[in-house]
Amino acid sequence: MTRQRILLVEDEGDIRHFIRVALEREGMTVFEAANAWEARIAAASRQPQLVIMDLGLPDGDGKDVIRDLRGWSSAPVLVLSAREHEQEKVAALEAGADDYLAKPFGVPELLARVRAHLRRANLIGMGGATLSIVRFGDVQVDLATYEVSRNGAPVHLTPIEFRLLAALIRGYGKVITYRQLLLDVWGPGYSDRPHYARVYMNNLRQKLEEDPARPRHLVTELQVGYRLAGICRGEATLSAAPPVPSERGLETRYQA
Amino acid sequence: MAIPVRGFAVCLRAARAPLVDCDGAARPFAASGPPLTSMRVASAPWSPGSPASAPSIARRVAAMASTHGLLPALLACAVATLAAGVLLRVFDLSNVVILFLFTVVLVALRWGKLAGAVAALFGVVSFDFFFVPPVYSFHLSDTQYLFTFALTLVVALVIGQLAARLREETASAIAGEHRATALANVAGLLSAAVSTEEIVDECNNTIAPMFGSRGWLLLPDAQGRINTQEPMLDGAVAQWVYARGREAGCDRSGEGSPVRYTPVVSPLGTRGVLALQGVAPSPSAAGEQQRLFEACCALIGQALERIHFADLAREAEVRIEGERLRHALLAAVSHDLKTPLTAIRGMAETLESATGLPQAERVSAVRAIRDQSDALHRLVVNLLDLARMQEHGIHLNREWHAIGEVVEVALAGAAMALGARQIHIHLDADLPLVELDACLFERVLANLLDNAAKYTQARANLWIGAHVGGNGLLLQVEDDGPGLPSDVLPETLFAPFARGVRESAISGVGLGLTLCRSIVEAHGGALHAYPRQPVGARFEIRLPLRQPPSIEPEQNL
Repeated sequence: MTRQRILLVEDEGDIRHFIRVALEREGMTVFEAANAWEARIAAASRQPQLVIMDLGLPDGDGKDVIRDLRGWSSAPVLVLSAREHEQEKVAALEAGADDYLAKPFGVPELLARVRAHLRRANLIGMGGATLSIVRFGDVQVDLATYEVSRNGAPVHLTPIEFRLLAALIRGYGKVITYRQLLLDVWGPGYSDRPHYARVYMNNLRQKLEEDPARPRHLVTELQVGYRLAGICRGEATLSAAPPVPSERGLETRYQA
Repeated sequence: MAIPVRGFAVCLRAARAPLVDCDGAARPFAASGPPLTSMRVASAPWSPGSPASAPSIARRVAAMASTHGLLPALLACAVATLAAGVLLRVFDLSNVVILFLFTVVLVALRWGKLAGAVAALFGVVSFDFFFVPPVYSFHLSDTQYLFTFALTLVVALVIGQLAARLREETASAIAGEHRATALANVAGLLSAAVSTEEIVDECNNTIAPMFGSRGWLLLPDAQGRINTQEPMLDGAVAQWVYARGREAGCDRSGEGSPVRYTPVVSPLGTRGVLALQGVAPSPSAAGEQQRLFEACCALIGQALERIHFADLAREAEVRIEGERLRHALLAAVSHDLKTPLTAIRGMAETLESATGLPQAERVSAVRAIRDQSDALHRLVVNLLDLARMQEHGIHLNREWHAIGEVVEVALAGAAMALGARQIHIHLDADLPLVELDACLFERVLANLLDNAAKYTQARANLWIGAHVGGNGLLLQVEDDGPGLPSDVLPETLFAPFARGVRESAISGVGLGLTLCRSIVEAHGGALHAYPRQPVGARFEIRLPLRQPPSIEPEQNL
């Protein structure tokens, strides 16, 4: 298996250092960029499979770099940000980012997300579009026949619930903002009514989650949107054995 | 120009008192419409408001006569003469003289000095004319009557003047008493006022009607500008009066009677302007009324000043309290920031220098660094939240949320800190949406969970529950840890920098619960701590519920 190429864009040297060490220990190749200009060059020349991007760069906004990148690459982008405002996260996601991590973050959390997004990109790359059967946890969804079952027993979903679930599945584990979900499922007139998504998401959880109060798959990103975690395609079950007990939760939460 | 006799002095004064036009230019008072008296002159009566035409001399004399009781005096003399004519059939002439003296006393008592003197004079004259022989003639048959007349006249005059003075003194004593009562009332009203609004109300509704038909107390704003929306009033005149500390009148023709503006002066400057409309007291009472008015103005000025200084004192108190809190915060924060920083640095240097450190030691040092930086992170997040809320006030970004999602996110965030603690969640499946700022509210739950992680042992149980109760949503976070400190009231935990265990090794300045309560209260809710039976602590959040927005049924979509 070839080493996976990661582009790390971050202006703070110490943070670059520990991320690099952590990723290289995972067997990945890391290219570093300290500003937006270097990031554009490195992205074009190194063709990374995943980009880790700090939003506050000395010579520009990381969001602009992401927009440029999205013009020609579908590599997952993981945003690092010290800015806690949800608007900022939503803006980054809508610029084309797949996920975000607020500083300070832990190395296990970062690694869990990097692995999840690489797997997700891999799944798409494998031409999984032809496979219509998706699994997460004990739930199986057939996108072609609209059949949903849990532990083998059929589950009845309303058309809206199914469209919501399908929209999340199409995201392959990336964070989908309320606006994107509302546009996708309800249509343009509903993009300012996030409570629709909340009510229907609650219904989905009641039907599909083992413990709806602590969902493992239909995960909330507060004020931002939702993500579907622990997704796998067809028979290809992908799960890595987590090294430390405390990371098990993270692995499930961010597994794609 | 026709002027009432005693109004002469008024006009001279009025000519000196400036009048401010609506455009702010001062012009002589007398040039406009009816003259208004300058009230600073206590003896000057308030002029009648009607413009003077040209009454005949006879009418003026008649008016004067009626004003000073001359006509009644003449009438009384006539009556006394008739009575004397009747009595003379029975009594001797010398006894009848007393009847005239009696009349003089009555007239003087009722109508004053001048009327008494006139009555004395006419009494003597008519006695001479009607009763002293030869009757119906001023001739005297006996010259000794001259002595009688002179003596009688002197006695009548003296008695009349004494009686008149008695009357004046009684009247002034009564007026003084009225004034004292009125002043006491005003003073009582003003001293009960605790805000400038109350003073304004008292002035407009109680004090002003004592002097005119309507009145307004105008107060300057922070920039010293007097603004008024009252159509009867002229802001420019009020501003002029306020700035100069002098009185002025303004007549906006065709809009009712003129308005008089009086500065309300306190020992430390002008505090406002009292505008009175329809000032029409009786001329005889003018002096008293004027003194009472001045006393009331002084009382209003003092009351305004008292409230001004009370406000200043309160502001200073708030500032001092804020200063005290800031100092306490700084001290507590610097302690809580430096402790983990020292530990982190020490641990890092230990790892750096010691080459032969056993593996177990290395692992524990690294774990300690991580724990300390987590503690630092929590503190910084709370401080940032607090700073943001203090800077902008609590700005809520409210949306309709499922409380379950907020619990889910808070639990995910606290998962590492909670470790192996058992968490039991009981959320009703049909909980209504609540309107809240999810990110701030997540901070509330995160802080409560953090507290549970900090103060309970590693294998404790936690319960999170939510249900609709009463007219609100009840959210509870419970644990079976050591519970609330027994030596302090649960409420004191919510005060800034309160901590259950004093100077313990547990970090955190006790900002968490203060922050939680501020956020919950900003949502219109309440946060309380209770002991849990048999052991542990229970934190209860009560949120008001409103009708959530409707959701269209699915087939319509």
